[in-house]
Amino acid sequence: MGIIEIENLKIYYKTVKGYVKAVENVSFNIEKGETMGLVGESGCGKTTIGMSIMRLLPRNAKIIGGKIIFEGEDLIKKREEEMEKIRWKEISMIFQAAMNALNPVYKIENQILEAIYAHENISKKEAVERVSRLYSLVGIDPRRAKEYPHEYSGGMKQRAVIAMALACNPKFIIADEPTTALDVMVQDQIISEIKEIQKKLQMTMMYISHDISVIAETCKRIGVMYAGGIVEYADAIPLFKKPLHPYTKALMNSFPSIKGEKKKLTPVPGEPPNLLNPPSGCRFHPRCSKAKSLCRKKAPKFVEYQHRHFVACHYVG
Amino acid sequence: MKIIRGKSKTWDLFIKSTLGKVGLGLLITFAIMAVLSPIWIARNPQIYDPLTGKDPNVFGSIPPTMAHPLGTDQLGRDLLSQLLKGSQIAFLVGISVGVFSTSIGTLIGLISGYYRGKIEIVLMRLTDIVMTLPLLPLLIVISGIFGRKDIRMIVLVLSLAGWTLAARVIRSQTLTLKERPYIESARVSGASNMRIIFKHIAPNILPLTFLYMTIGVTYAILTEAGLGFLGLSDPTISSWGMMLQWCFMSGYTFKALYWMIPPGLCISALALSFYLVGYAMEEIVNPRLRER
Amino acid sequence: MSLRRYTVMRFIQLLVTFFIVMTLIFILFRLMPGDPGVFLISPKMSEAAKETIREQFGLTKSIPEQYIFFIKNTLKGEFGDSFYYGRPVKDILFEKILNSIVLFTFGAILAYAIGMTIGKIIAWKRGSKTDTFFTMVGLGFWTFFPPWLGLILIWIFSYRLDLFPLGGMITPDVWAFNPTLSQKIIDFLHHLALPLMAYVLMWFAGSMLIMRNSMLETLREDYILTAKAKGLKDKVVRDKHAARNAMLPVVTSFSMSIAFSFGGGVLIETVFSWPGIGRTIVDVTLLQDYPLAQASFMVITLAVLIANFAADIVYAYLDPRVKY
Repeated sequence: MGIIEIENLKIYYKTVKGYVKAVENVSFNIEKGETMGLVGESGCGKTTIGMSIMRLLPRNAKIIGGKIIFEGEDLIKKREEEMEKIRWKEISMIFQAAMNALNPVYKIENQILEAIYAHENISKKEAVERVSRLYSLVGIDPRRAKEYPHEYSGGMKQRAVIAMALACNPKFIIADEPTTALDVMVQDQIISEIKEIQKKLQMTMMYISHDISVIAETCKRIGVMYAGGIVEYADAIPLFKKPLHPYTKALMNSFPSIKGEKKKLTPVPGEPPNLLNPPSGCRFHPRCSKAKSLCRKKAPKFVEYQHRHFVACHYVG
Repeated sequence: MKIIRGKSKTWDLFIKSTLGKVGLGLLITFAIMAVLSPIWIARNPQIYDPLTGKDPNVFGSIPPTMAHPLGTDQLGRDLLSQLLKGSQIAFLVGISVGVFSTSIGTLIGLISGYYRGKIEIVLMRLTDIVMTLPLLPLLIVISGIFGRKDIRMIVLVLSLAGWTLAARVIRSQTLTLKERPYIESARVSGASNMRIIFKHIAPNILPLTFLYMTIGVTYAILTEAGLGFLGLSDPTISSWGMMLQWCFMSGYTFKALYWMIPPGLCISALALSFYLVGYAMEEIVNPRLRER
Repeated sequence: MSLRRYTVMRFIQLLVTFFIVMTLIFILFRLMPGDPGVFLISPKMSEAAKETIREQFGLTKSIPEQYIFFIKNTLKGEFGDSFYYGRPVKDILFEKILNSIVLFTFGAILAYAIGMTIGKIIAWKRGSKTDTFFTMVGLGFWTFFPPWLGLILIWIFSYRLDLFPLGGMITPDVWAFNPTLSQKIIDFLHHLALPLMAYVLMWFAGSMLIMRNSMLETLREDYILTAKAKGLKDKVVRDKHAARNAMLPVVTSFSMSIAFSFGGGVLIETVFSWPGIGRTIVDVTLLQDYPLAQASFMVITLAVLIANFAADIVYAYLDPRVKY
């Protein structure tokens, strides 16, 4: 039993040009204490999945089908008021701080306190103490909590955003590209910070990134997404040792190796498909070197090829 | 994102906007009124001239009749003539002020945004000062000092004072455009400053210029009408503001709604139509306002 | 730099601007052909009075010296005597300014409070019928010709329904016979109601439309998503996070449109015979009472500058990012 189980999730966006089929039949589960990474090119639907768990999709998005089971209950069936109680208290998010995730007109301490007060009935003294503990945990001087976001550097803002996500001791945290806009040096610091906190607090996490090397560094289990679907889902080590899906292989060749081996980088050929009108059959077939006629006609099933190693391809192996 | 788009695409977006269509429809109506004005007067200028005409059979202000579809004022002058003529005047004042003031504003915005430094500081301080001049009181005092109320002077003052908003917005737009790679490449390839400003930057701020022109027109129409209502506009022309003033001053305000309603309605509606065109345009120029 | 130092700096800026405007006025009035005394000396004055004025304003001296006299006198509040009233200009202006401030301040506060409240609500419900309705109403009122709006209000509420007086600020009959304070207040409020309504209708639309646009932009910001993700109630997200940021451009637009609003104020005061500074400037211009007209204009400009200054301070207070 996972803490979160997603079954056949299907999400469309309504646009003037028609429906964008952003997430199609996605299933996976995350076990307690596990860090799951979701990786794929931008626009493949990773953020949509994250937002659907929080039930914070944009107004034009619609969950067409599927289930999002959190601790045995389907979040899709929850009323808005019930979701308000779950958000942050049970499931919280680490946003990308560089994108203005902090409100510019309030002191950061107050923004964290606000989240605590929304869910817990505790005294101001206790809450303020908790904020300084969180600040120490993420490595910022607690005295700086009384400053405004614009007084922080990019890395500090990101740390503050992490502290905020931890404010209510959530059971599950979704981190959406938390390090993307930072300098490489700062990015490394933040990643090791997240890893350390994850170990210390035994958090369950979903880590969303387009950068497979970041995912490799932080996650035990990895889902590779392509054009709205998960094409491969496995533990990190077997996945990197022996990727099964052609897209996973292509993706790995397009990023520098984490072990620092020298190899030639080759970008994934072709363009990501337009999800208004996705390719028939396997959505990857127009870019796949091994595609045969079956791939054009029939979408492959997502099957457990080996123990804990799922893949969606007609010609595995 | 490059602001400028194909002409047809902007037009398509514009015509899809309900507000844009309403604004344009109103504008066309008033344009027709302006065109009809000389035709209506030419039937019999002795009766229908908006200022000097007088119907010998009419004494005091009368409600609408066959001969005077909107009635007459207290001097027996035809109200429809005045209303049609007023449309001409409003277009004349509105559009000339709109064009002049926006041209000044665009030029000042472009120069201060492009050259930065001392030029920018001086021009922006000037903008701040002009922006704090209360225009209607200024016009009131000027018309009082010079005693001569001339529509050309009114247009001049309105133009010289009404460019500030456009200047500010176009300056900040120029600042962002200046950083674009294609401007950089133009500079590297040896284009002169003038050429960069007018060939590369100006076309991209044209939609903004048009937007602020519509706002300028709206404010010019309302201010001129306000001056007319106070009896301080050019007495040799008949504008909507003056029609309302004659009605107010002659004590007919509440006895003759046929007289009080049309000029005010026309002023408001023409101002609205220009504003609506601008409003619809803003949704195109600034896609951030559109629903995602 | 602290807010206090910013306030001081901004105040100095205000003084410099006022100085420049005074200079412009001086030049404007000297542009007239003929004797500069035309603007200060009424033909009706006695020879002795004329001589006093010439002395006080240095009219026999050179232009630069006249300029210095002019600045000195302005700073002291000496504008000479009104041709029409025959009294010192500063005494007349003082009460007119108070009357205007009451109407303008109440009108502006009410209009902005109403406009911003409706604006934030319709932006939150964008695309709904309420949104369309208020946007239409707002667009309509935004370009409403102010005196015409006033006339229509008078026609409906005074002429047809007989609920409010036709104009003025007090009923002389009531005030002549030792009224109690509450009688005075009621009579005043009774007169205040319609012009106030005109102000509010004239201005709420602008603040509402700007607030709506500004909210629509703010609602796309990531911190709104953060606020929602924190499990805050919709109303808290809307008011505390979105509206608080969205009001910043409204304050800016307020400070930029003050000068234009004062023009509307002149018209409203004229229609409602409100004895404020706006109506005074119109009346005295028509009467060619130059000292009073000149001083009224200077006072109105100063009021715009002060309102501008206040708006800037409010902005700096509301936005911690302002670099002073």
